[in-house]
Amino acid sequence: MRLKTQKRLNQPIWLEIAIPVGGLVMAFLVSGVFLTAMGVSPMEAYREMYYSAFGDSYGLSECMVKAIPLAMAAIAVTLSFKMLIWNIGAEGQIFMGAIAAAAAARYFPSDNHVLMLFSMGSLAILAGGLWAAFAGYLKARWNVNEIITTLMMNYIAIHLMDYFVYGPWRDPASLGFPMTAPFPQSARLMEMGWGRVHSGIILAAILIFMAWWVFKMTRWGYEIRVIGENPKAATFAGIDYVKNVVVVMFISGAIAGLAGMTEVAGLQGRLQHGFSGGFGYTAIIVAWLSRLNPIAIALVAFLMGGLLVGGESLQIVMGLPIASTLVVQGCILFFILAGEFFRRYRIVIAKEDV
Amino acid sequence: MKRHKVAAALALSLAVLVAGSAIAAMKMIPMQDIKTGFIYIGPVGDGGYTYMHDQGRTYMHEQNPDLPKSVIVENVPEGPDAARVTETLVRRGANVIFGNSFGYMDFMLDVAKRYPDVYFMHCSGYKTAPNMGTYFGRMYQPRYLSGIVAGAMTKSNILGYVAAQPIPEVIRGINAFTLGARSVNPNVTVKVIWLFSWFDPGKEKEAAKALIDAGADVIGMHADSGAAPQACEEAGVYVIGYNNDMSQFAPTKHLTAPIWNWGAVYDYTVKQVSQGVWQPDQIWWGLKENMVGLAPFSEAVPKSLVETVESRKKAIVSGEWDVFWGPIWDQNGELKVKDNEKMSDGEMLGMDWFVQGVEASIPK
Amino acid sequence: MTEPSTLLVEMRGITKSFQGIKANDQVDLQLKRGEVLALLGENGAGKSTLMNVLSGIYLPDSGTIDIDGKRLSFGSPHDAIAAGIGMVHQHFMLVPSQTVWENMVLGLPELPQVLPKAKIISDIRDISQQYGLDVDPEAIIWQLSIGEQQRVEILKSLYRKAQVLILDEPTAVLTPQEAKNLFHTVKRMTKEGRGVIFISHKLDEVMEISDNVMVLRKGKLVGIVDTKGSSKEKIAEMMVGRRVNLELDKKDIVPGKIVLSLSQANALSDRGLKALNDVSLELREGQILGLAGVAGNGQTELCQVMAGLRKMTSGKLFLNEVEVTDLPPRKLIDSGVRYIPADRKGTGMVSNMDVRENSTLKRYWRSPVAKGMLIDWKAVLKHAMGIVKDFNVDTPSVETPVRNLSGGNIQKLMLGRELSDVPKVLIAMNPTWGLDVAATRFVREQLLEEREKGAAIFLISEDLDELLSLSDRMAVIYRGKIMGMIEDPNTFGIERIGMMMAGTRIEDAGGAI
Repeated sequence: MRLKTQKRLNQPIWLEIAIPVGGLVMAFLVSGVFLTAMGVSPMEAYREMYYSAFGDSYGLSECMVKAIPLAMAAIAVTLSFKMLIWNIGAEGQIFMGAIAAAAAARYFPSDNHVLMLFSMGSLAILAGGLWAAFAGYLKARWNVNEIITTLMMNYIAIHLMDYFVYGPWRDPASLGFPMTAPFPQSARLMEMGWGRVHSGIILAAILIFMAWWVFKMTRWGYEIRVIGENPKAATFAGIDYVKNVVVVMFISGAIAGLAGMTEVAGLQGRLQHGFSGGFGYTAIIVAWLSRLNPIAIALVAFLMGGLLVGGESLQIVMGLPIASTLVVQGCILFFILAGEFFRRYRIVIAKEDV
Repeated sequence: MKRHKVAAALALSLAVLVAGSAIAAMKMIPMQDIKTGFIYIGPVGDGGYTYMHDQGRTYMHEQNPDLPKSVIVENVPEGPDAARVTETLVRRGANVIFGNSFGYMDFMLDVAKRYPDVYFMHCSGYKTAPNMGTYFGRMYQPRYLSGIVAGAMTKSNILGYVAAQPIPEVIRGINAFTLGARSVNPNVTVKVIWLFSWFDPGKEKEAAKALIDAGADVIGMHADSGAAPQACEEAGVYVIGYNNDMSQFAPTKHLTAPIWNWGAVYDYTVKQVSQGVWQPDQIWWGLKENMVGLAPFSEAVPKSLVETVESRKKAIVSGEWDVFWGPIWDQNGELKVKDNEKMSDGEMLGMDWFVQGVEASIPK
Repeated sequence: MTEPSTLLVEMRGITKSFQGIKANDQVDLQLKRGEVLALLGENGAGKSTLMNVLSGIYLPDSGTIDIDGKRLSFGSPHDAIAAGIGMVHQHFMLVPSQTVWENMVLGLPELPQVLPKAKIISDIRDISQQYGLDVDPEAIIWQLSIGEQQRVEILKSLYRKAQVLILDEPTAVLTPQEAKNLFHTVKRMTKEGRGVIFISHKLDEVMEISDNVMVLRKGKLVGIVDTKGSSKEKIAEMMVGRRVNLELDKKDIVPGKIVLSLSQANALSDRGLKALNDVSLELREGQILGLAGVAGNGQTELCQVMAGLRKMTSGKLFLNEVEVTDLPPRKLIDSGVRYIPADRKGTGMVSNMDVRENSTLKRYWRSPVAKGMLIDWKAVLKHAMGIVKDFNVDTPSVETPVRNLSGGNIQKLMLGRELSDVPKVLIAMNPTWGLDVAATRFVREQLLEEREKGAAIFLISEDLDELLSLSDRMAVIYRGKIMGMIEDPNTFGIERIGMMMAGTRIEDAGGAI
């Protein structure tokens, strides 16, 4: 007798719900053993995590603050993933967008709020977009692996930003610290009157809706889906693969760039070394867990924000070291991602097949 | 992950602007009701900067047995997350909060404004509020003393210095080290290699090796790992550690190290709060307050040299002399500090030039 | 029990279900020594499932198998091989980089550490002479033609002393001559008392080779008939469940002007090898040009070149006397060139998308479907419903993903899509491959109807009977070269076509008519 895997023919609704829930339960069980070994009551720990993230208006607002750039970057990568182009470079494109936004605030300052934000946004779109489109062009023209190029370009973007914040853009008042001077007030996104939630939330909501609408309603969205589902069929229908790869990468990068701009203009108010907590990478997980569904991205990004926010409470309230927090967070992500396998395959006990 | 502990207040005037002139005393909190929260840039186990802060926290508890257990949050990046961690600490009952990295400044200040009854102490920054003070140490003082040891021990008259970032705090340390060395050996020159990173064991090791290759036979350092001392031990070259006693990394070659004793300020702060006399000061303590010091000397350091160092230390502690008192010339031979003149704290905090004897340049 | 019984294989009450659907439902099968049993059924009737149960690949839910009177344990390919079952799959199970003899012994139990190579090779030589299976034991697999590889597969079974040989659609990859040789081999094996189970779609060869015909429909056994006492029509009726008319009504049409012409085309395959060698062809209005050839001789590349989907290294393509070489494929689509690729699921359809979305693949950028940048999904729906109705596509709804449709229904959907704009040029490759009798007939009728409407049709098929019954003219391709143009295929003679398929030029195959 042996176990073997069998591909599921379809995924019924109950499975779509049972899998993530099951993953969560497994994660809680496993990290529960770990927490108990650490001398902490798992139930109490989970309650604290939940409470910190979703227990009150402040926690919810902080989850939202985290969710804004996550959702935007997840939409960005979804666009490329839909057509099987693996843009791993959202992180770098976020950096380019942030650099461009800071450049706008530095070189074309304006007291007009709308004008200022418009120029920051446009430059961010251009910078992120071109950054990604370059990798897209290499892919389309010479079939250069975009996973490698986008990943490598992340490091270039990060170092490029370091060059600016350590060098020419360094704030003289910062005592030599690698950060630009604070942006003028006109270059800040307005607050929404709910914690630190800023108007980037509107942008994120618009992008989510736009993505959904483009895939659903437009000719171009249809083309992207066809390319992604079956590139051969796309060629067969006369869809220009090369052009679409470049265009999709540009837009993907542009959205990521915009996410970078909202992060610096919304929360930080200046460009500073290491400003992104790696959410260009986390966004890939968000996009994947959402199964590239823009509407699901909104929810998953928010929950992911909750996981990050809630993790801190383990340190603050339960007195656990950071490593334990990372173990619990890692457990949850691992089991939910592993669940993806069980969504697509079933395990059967059999001795058939060789 | 980098961190920017360092540097401190640019000018007091700036701070006064933020703080306002008249400061009302804050409400006293009895010792048994003080709940301290610590926000750390690194993990407690980094063996360097954050580790020393946590040692200080332990010291604070030892000195104040009535003080309830403190809360720590590790690995907090210098970004918007710092604001949430600070706020969450407050919401979960902390009423005295310490943040150990420069980049927390604006975020802590933001939270401080919204919670006027909570005490905030920010390490290495320059912005204060009625309920937010700053603290840092005059590390240049023990660095000067360690420079005396290096200057006396060198045979090649070339010293090496593994330096993290080209910012005033580090530059000040290099200058102090150089001045100390040349006070006993005027022929000494100091070579510097910049890391552009606070914590990068690989680079630190490479830098130490390069300095040794360039003829340096005593290495000083401003970096957070034990990689440079290890390289020195392997090459058989003397080394002066940093942060804490690094003799474990170079058992036979470690001479001494300028070290931190954050416990002094942590102990002081909770006592002030419990007595209701806390003020939003810009604490910049030195050898006198025991905020900084020297690690034990190795056996390689001769008795007579130890005595020289001790007497110089006594002069600093008593206040009759300090490191940056004139005359001091810069690299180009220009007299920067005249005889009988003292550099002000503000000038020291913005230091962006090298003293005579440093063979390096400051990247702009 | 020691005496060999005349009953070689007896399967009783075999039931096997996948996800609650019964692929085999209480099927009985009997194979006597010396018998060729043809196993017939439409796609999805359960033929492959039954054979996979017999060869130990699938574990059935219930039933028994006796080989030579001995009970066979289920679900073990090793036991099945040991009991003398050999199966030649449609896709060969050979290691391309190894020699013939190495493939023979691969996976044999109890191999000695040092292989007695000389003995193995001489054994193989003996068997291949005995059965007329001409193969060099020391040749490397990938250098062999498809027909030779099939012989290796059969040899492998014989080398392992198979008593029962299962052949799954063996002639699909063979020239008529090769098919004939295969039949000789089969005859020799049965003469010695072995049994052969022969799976096929082609009724003609079933009539020629088999002793009995067993028909499955929807997993159930419909019946077993004596081949000689039956007819093609009868068997077809058993398969489909109702009477089918196999005769096609092909009208006489005077062909019109040249619509598409290809001149001196050279092209490379995906792997960068020369696939087309100076090919010139002309398609005329109201005419079907057939292309015969063994699979893999450049047919796919030729179709792609003609549809503008593959770049030529040299050569020219004209549409209505205007040069369209190297134009974007969409220009050709817009000018009325339609292409039905052989690889329906892989190229022609997006299997994860639904019927509606697939129906609009060739028109979403044109009115009435396109509304500016948007797609008018109402118009798409209307069009999709029209195709489903006009082409009898059997689907639960137009929102069903295409992957859930049967091969026949996918092909109907594809035809509906490609024919919905009245094409001027229709390129169809293996349009009836794998389809059941009724669907096959439907597709052929559609092709003839388009011909009557004046379309210029290029039909590529591996089924010579199909080509002969539909084509007005025929070309034969071999290694990317056209071996000759046959102006009157039905009088030319199938033998000579077969020679051309094997690489003989028309002049040497008895000359042009």
